[in-house]
Amino acid sequence: MNTLQHRVGPPYIHTTTWAIAYVPAADPGWTCTLHVKDRPGEAHESAVSVPTASKPTRIDGRRLRSERTKQLIIEAYLSLLRENPVVPMPTAAQIAERAGYSVRSVFERFPDLNKLRVAAADYGLAQAAALAPPRNVDGDRKTRIKSQVETRAGTCERGVALWRVLVFSVTEDDELKHRVRLARERTIERLEVMYRPELSALSERDRRYMLIALEAITDHESWARMRELHGLSFEDACAVWIEAIDRMLPPTPPA
Amino acid sequence: MVLTKRPTAQASGVDGRRLRSLKTKQRIIEAYLALAGEKSPLVPTAAEIARRAGYSVRSVFERFPDIHTLQVAAVDFALTLVTPSAPPSATDRQSRIRSQVESRGRSCERWLPLWRSLIANQGESAELRQRVVALRQWDVRCLASIYGPELSTVSDGERRQLLMVLEALTDIESWARMQEFFGLSFEEACSAWMQAIDRLLPPTPARA
Repeated sequence: MNTLQHRVGPPYIHTTTWAIAYVPAADPGWTCTLHVKDRPGEAHESAVSVPTASKPTRIDGRRLRSERTKQLIIEAYLSLLRENPVVPMPTAAQIAERAGYSVRSVFERFPDLNKLRVAAADYGLAQAAALAPPRNVDGDRKTRIKSQVETRAGTCERGVALWRVLVFSVTEDDELKHRVRLARERTIERLEVMYRPELSALSERDRRYMLIALEAITDHESWARMRELHGLSFEDACAVWIEAIDRMLPPTPPA
Repeated sequence: MVLTKRPTAQASGVDGRRLRSLKTKQRIIEAYLALAGEKSPLVPTAAEIARRAGYSVRSVFERFPDIHTLQVAAVDFALTLVTPSAPPSATDRQSRIRSQVESRGRSCERWLPLWRSLIANQGESAELRQRVVALRQWDVRCLASIYGPELSTVSDGERRQLLMVLEALTDIESWARMQEFFGLSFEEACSAWMQAIDRLLPPTPARA
């Protein structure tokens, strides 16, 4: 992938229900916008806690098609990963076939499969931010816990296959390490936002330990074990987290 | 890594030739474990294992038809080393929490590289996957035993849920994150777990 294109490239536009305006996580001024129904002018900004770029980029048709191809290749990779998680990197031929392009098209856009993995990580981060904005931040304790848990559960459910690949590939790739760190930081930030009233009652040290413990409990692998090993439904697994977080958090101070 | 539990003639009741063969096998397993820990999550090659064990590659393959068989044998051997620690002599809640956390923290520090190697390389191997599950179940049984008094006060369903959460909290990767990502020392990481476990557990029932 051309580095310059990668950094300032236009959004990836999904052709179906969701469209994720995509700018890589490595770009300090990145924005993440959730478009509904893929119609120009009907974009709904999501309230994600990341800085926004100054102006939307205007893009021509050819460039847009190229970006669509890129996105379809990433999605093909992700769908192969979800289908067969024990194969962390399908072959270029499999990815090309799934995406409906030639192997050459894959390598024109991603010079090697590591670059594709990094792009998939950026796509996953953008998707997580777009599809999981904080909700009910000002709600009562029960509402906030339920909201945070359901949002986090959705992120884990969608992203665990890719997450496993990233976590076990970080030793080979500093770009991936950066993205895994970013994802964890965002999880912690979200916990801080959602449980601000309860956390404010703790000393700095205890607050830090509390966030560390909450992050551990609501980790991707914790979710995956509840679903895969213990056979819990989505709702039952959410109930486990809700109960645990309610036990963990100190009493909510009066408003 | 210092490993123990090597076979002895007395212990296994076998002749000298067979004992030598068992010792060779054992040295190969130990070489594999040491290298897997050092190279984690990469799998060492047969040549590297042979060199470390002081044998030829042929000797390795005479005892293990492929690396996967060696991996399974090595995990089984490692499992014998993860012996349950004696139940804490103190019975009060805080002492039990501290004892469990410190023991778990030491275990995580010791086994993290091998665990990562196992997880990263289990692939489609049913044998390795079974062992991963067995290790997790073993962790849960330890938690159930140590926190038996507190868990006895809740329903079966709630007990099961609490054990899932305690297992997630004290997962080996959770320990690794506290040190690698959050930069906590051993003591700080123990404190973070102790605080969380104390909050999660129901009140300790009064002793009969």
